[in-house]
Amino acid sequence: MIHISDTAIHRPKAFFWLSGLLSLIMITLVALPSVWPTTFSMLYPLQIDTDPENMLSVDEPVRVYHNARKKEFSLYDMVVVGVVNESHTQGVFNKNSLTDIHALADFAKNIEGVISVDLMAPSTVDNIEPGGLGVVKFEWLMKQPPVDDAEALSIRTKAQNLPLLNGTIVSEDGRAIALYIPITAKNISYNVVEELKVKIAEFGSDDNYHITGLPVAQDVFGVEMFIQMAISAPMAMVLIFLLMWYFFKKASLVVSPMIVAMVSVITTMGLLVITGNTVHIMSSMIPIFIMPIAVLDAIHILSDFYDKYPRFKDRKKTLAHVMKELSAPMLYTTLTTAVGFASLSLTPIPPVQVFGLFVAIGVILAWLFTIALVPAYIMLMPEESFADFGLDLSDENISSPMARMLNGLGRVTYGGAKLIIVAVFVLAAVAWVGIGKIVINDNPVKWFSTDHEIRVADRALNERFAGTYMAYLVLEGAEEEPLSQFAEGLKIGLQSHNLSEMVAEVDAVLPQTEDAGQLVDRLSVRIEQRMETVSDEEWDSWDTALTWLGEYLGRTETFKNPEVLNYMSRLQEYLQATGLVGKSNSLSDVVKTVHRELFMGNKGDYRIPETRGAVAETLITYQNSHRPQDLWHFVTPDYKKSNIWLQLKSGDNRDMTALMDKVDQFFKDNPAPEGISHDWFGLTYINVIWQDKMVSGMAEAFIGSFIIVLIMMIFLFRSVWWGILAMIPLTFTIGMIYGIIGLIGKDYDMPVAVLSSLSLGLAVDYAIHFLARAREMRRNYPDWKITSVEVFGEPARAITRNVIVVGIGFMPLLAAPLIPYQTVGVFISAILVLAGLASLTILPALIRLFEGPLFKRI
Amino acid sequence: MKNLFKILLVLSFFGIIPVSAMDVIEVVKKANHVSYYQGDDGRAKVNMRIIDAQGRERVREFVILRKDDDNTDGKQKFYVYFNKPADVKKMVFMVVKNMERADDRWLYLPGLDLVKRIAASDERTSFVGSHFFYEDVSGRGIREDTHEIMEENDSNYIVKSTPKDTNAVEFAFFKSWIHKKTFLPVKIEYYDDLGQKIRSYSALKVELIDGHPTVTAASMENHQTGGKTLMNYSAVKYDVGLPDNIFTERYLRKTPRKYLR
Repeated sequence: MIHISDTAIHRPKAFFWLSGLLSLIMITLVALPSVWPTTFSMLYPLQIDTDPENMLSVDEPVRVYHNARKKEFSLYDMVVVGVVNESHTQGVFNKNSLTDIHALADFAKNIEGVISVDLMAPSTVDNIEPGGLGVVKFEWLMKQPPVDDAEALSIRTKAQNLPLLNGTIVSEDGRAIALYIPITAKNISYNVVEELKVKIAEFGSDDNYHITGLPVAQDVFGVEMFIQMAISAPMAMVLIFLLMWYFFKKASLVVSPMIVAMVSVITTMGLLVITGNTVHIMSSMIPIFIMPIAVLDAIHILSDFYDKYPRFKDRKKTLAHVMKELSAPMLYTTLTTAVGFASLSLTPIPPVQVFGLFVAIGVILAWLFTIALVPAYIMLMPEESFADFGLDLSDENISSPMARMLNGLGRVTYGGAKLIIVAVFVLAAVAWVGIGKIVINDNPVKWFSTDHEIRVADRALNERFAGTYMAYLVLEGAEEEPLSQFAEGLKIGLQSHNLSEMVAEVDAVLPQTEDAGQLVDRLSVRIEQRMETVSDEEWDSWDTALTWLGEYLGRTETFKNPEVLNYMSRLQEYLQATGLVGKSNSLSDVVKTVHRELFMGNKGDYRIPETRGAVAETLITYQNSHRPQDLWHFVTPDYKKSNIWLQLKSGDNRDMTALMDKVDQFFKDNPAPEGISHDWFGLTYINVIWQDKMVSGMAEAFIGSFIIVLIMMIFLFRSVWWGILAMIPLTFTIGMIYGIIGLIGKDYDMPVAVLSSLSLGLAVDYAIHFLARAREMRRNYPDWKITSVEVFGEPARAITRNVIVVGIGFMPLLAAPLIPYQTVGVFISAILVLAGLASLTILPALIRLFEGPLFKRI
Repeated sequence: MKNLFKILLVLSFFGIIPVSAMDVIEVVKKANHVSYYQGDDGRAKVNMRIIDAQGRERVREFVILRKDDDNTDGKQKFYVYFNKPADVKKMVFMVVKNMERADDRWLYLPGLDLVKRIAASDERTSFVGSHFFYEDVSGRGIREDTHEIMEENDSNYIVKSTPKDTNAVEFAFFKSWIHKKTFLPVKIEYYDDLGQKIRSYSALKVELIDGHPTVTAASMENHQTGGKTLMNYSAVKYDVGLPDNIFTERYLRKTPRKYLR
């Protein structure tokens, strides 16, 4: 390490050229494929990824299941457009508003990437109603815009009468309308929304259009992510520069850490992109993490150089001294920081792994650039410019307020050591209570600030409609009986239907058949052949037997069983009663609605009919509509799997988790017919799953890095006790922060989850510097009382400067438009300030109390 | 394409005298006649395979009976009796096709013991979940569209039909390839107002039955939802001598077994 610095001191220019060249290569490698993707297809371009689904790896079973079911039930991610009118007495159910909505739906159908046939709007869905005595009618709910307000009102009445539309397309108060626009892929939602906005701008009405839906949230997120990187990173840069200028009074000198930070960020982000990793919400924070960390070592070098230069009055000599003194603590603090971040790669969340790994790489790169470029830069400055440099030793202790304050703190830690330890225990107890109160919860829509248009739309729509958050509950019948068993039942049935002669046929074709359907098909063909030659009277009984055969096979169609459909209805009523579900839509609602309309719209006939055949008839009636394919959103064509579409008003993981528990409870309390089992999919569910993985994964990552850092500390200090001592301030700090999170009721969400591991590697730095310098200085003095005065001199000042730089360095995240960045900014600053404070109080207090045993062998 | 070629080959053997430079309305009238009015009556067993975009298949089987009121290619009646799926067996769909007013349609649901008249408001809804519409099964009135011959080649007239009431239908126009010798439409394509093809019908197989060229296999494809429906006709017979009383509400519940076997 010193070798690198030595070389840099002797050939400073070469090192700057090398660093510049490296940055240039990185920028070129990223720019070429990003600007000319086809020409440089062998390189990876810059790719932005804002899909929370990617918090799970592509082959994660939950995600595979989610995508398979989405395809099976022909479901797509949806953009939800809500239309609200506050001024008209009939809400949007007036001629003008409906005319606009009709035009918007027509327009939306032709937007690239919109699945027009599945679009749900008043003009694209069917109204089913009795059309007079003995007549059932299917018609478009709003084929043409209404001619007057009265017709508009009748459209509302019709829609409210259909359970599948009420609360979904028409708001619960009957004053607003929602359009559900399915899209081929989430990443086109931004364009779809932009086109919709252009169209909406043409309308001259006083209707309010709100656009939301998880895919929209994600896409907008990507845009805001860039804003974050464009604002926060340069702001951090400027802030850090100003702080260092203030500390070292020499602008030209503090340019060097800025160069180190820039080169480190460019190289790390370049490596990230050219290795084919995407820029995700996590990795977009890499620059702002590297920036403050990159300048830490530079601050130590400059701080020491600043203090020591007056003594040597020679750059080379001073640097040699400084590098010798700092090499070990700098190496160790770098390694602990890197380990802390690298531990994130133990989590099962790919974006978090990438973040951890590349911050670790960045930290090590920053260390390399620091030990090479900072000395090289000093060598490139003219010697004369250092003439008035450095701290005047004579008034060091009295001049600066920081110095005086730290002096005082040193005395307090000596005199009030016991009190400090008591206070630590009291605070730890409070923190413990707080941690017990932590609520694990997240919601990607809440990543936007409360006044963001997406949050406004989210509130407006969820107040009025059944909910914009979708979750899907899949019910699936038990495994089919084995073919041999099916054949046995078949033979018994054939005998009881006077078809004993076909029993032999079953045995004959059985060896060549694969499944029950094939067996019945082959048997039917034989029976039909026989029927061609029989008399009319015989034909009837053969025909009955043939029907029985079809029905016997039909038993495998689980979701035509009235008992099953009634069970689903009970489950849905139960879900509604939990208050967690805005509305549920299922096959059972379809059957009940069609049944009611077949019986003159009579309320009492809103029920599941008694027989399988009657159920089948309601279903085939439903398929006589304009949108027969809608049925397959609720059931597979083989009627073996069914899907209950749940609309939730809240996308909070906490609420989804509660719902999942309730459903489990229902299945436990009410054994399902036909051995039906259940499972979930949908984005709201996916979010719960990755959060669970995040929480448990983070605990593992934290414990893992804690142990590694502890071992490193024991190794560094060659003592178990000193090693443990080094871990105490950060343990206390992290405990306190999580205690505070619990006490103030802040949700334990994605950014909060990653904080513990993030801060571990950084927070331990202060303890390392404090203990290393304390131990070294203790050798020169008789006891801790005198040593502590010295330790609270230059070493404490360096630590304090670092605390201030890093603490303030993360503050620009507060200017980011997205809540997770703000959360990280606030809490990481808080952790680092608290860790610095803890290191400067708890450590000296403990050393004071255990001075004997700690310094026994030193 | 290969199928179309085969059909044309078969058709050329029927030896029907080719016509040329015909009036478009004559072409459309003849096409309407061979599609829906051959013989005084007719029957066929139909096997319908509905295949969705994911390749999942459902089967319907029914017998279709048809009787014309007279020889004017005007009023006629259809009786459709379902055999499969087994759980809707005995379900009956009946149409009385009127010229001057909308058709009368009935549905008999045996499981629910219900005879329903289906309102005539819209015939462009799915026929029992298939990609065919009710109107495809019973025929679209030729006076509902204006027709023009767009193109004429050795074997086909290509006729463009534009609806008079654009609000009543989901398409902007359709093109029919009408075979010159038989006047059977061998291909029909429906387009939306952006000129995109949304549905297409193809005759896949044509046979000469009782002297009438008859489509015995056809498909209807929906290019928007994906998926298609294949219809196969068997046991086709013309001039069966169907009595009128079959086509009454009474026979919805009482199967006319004799004609359905």
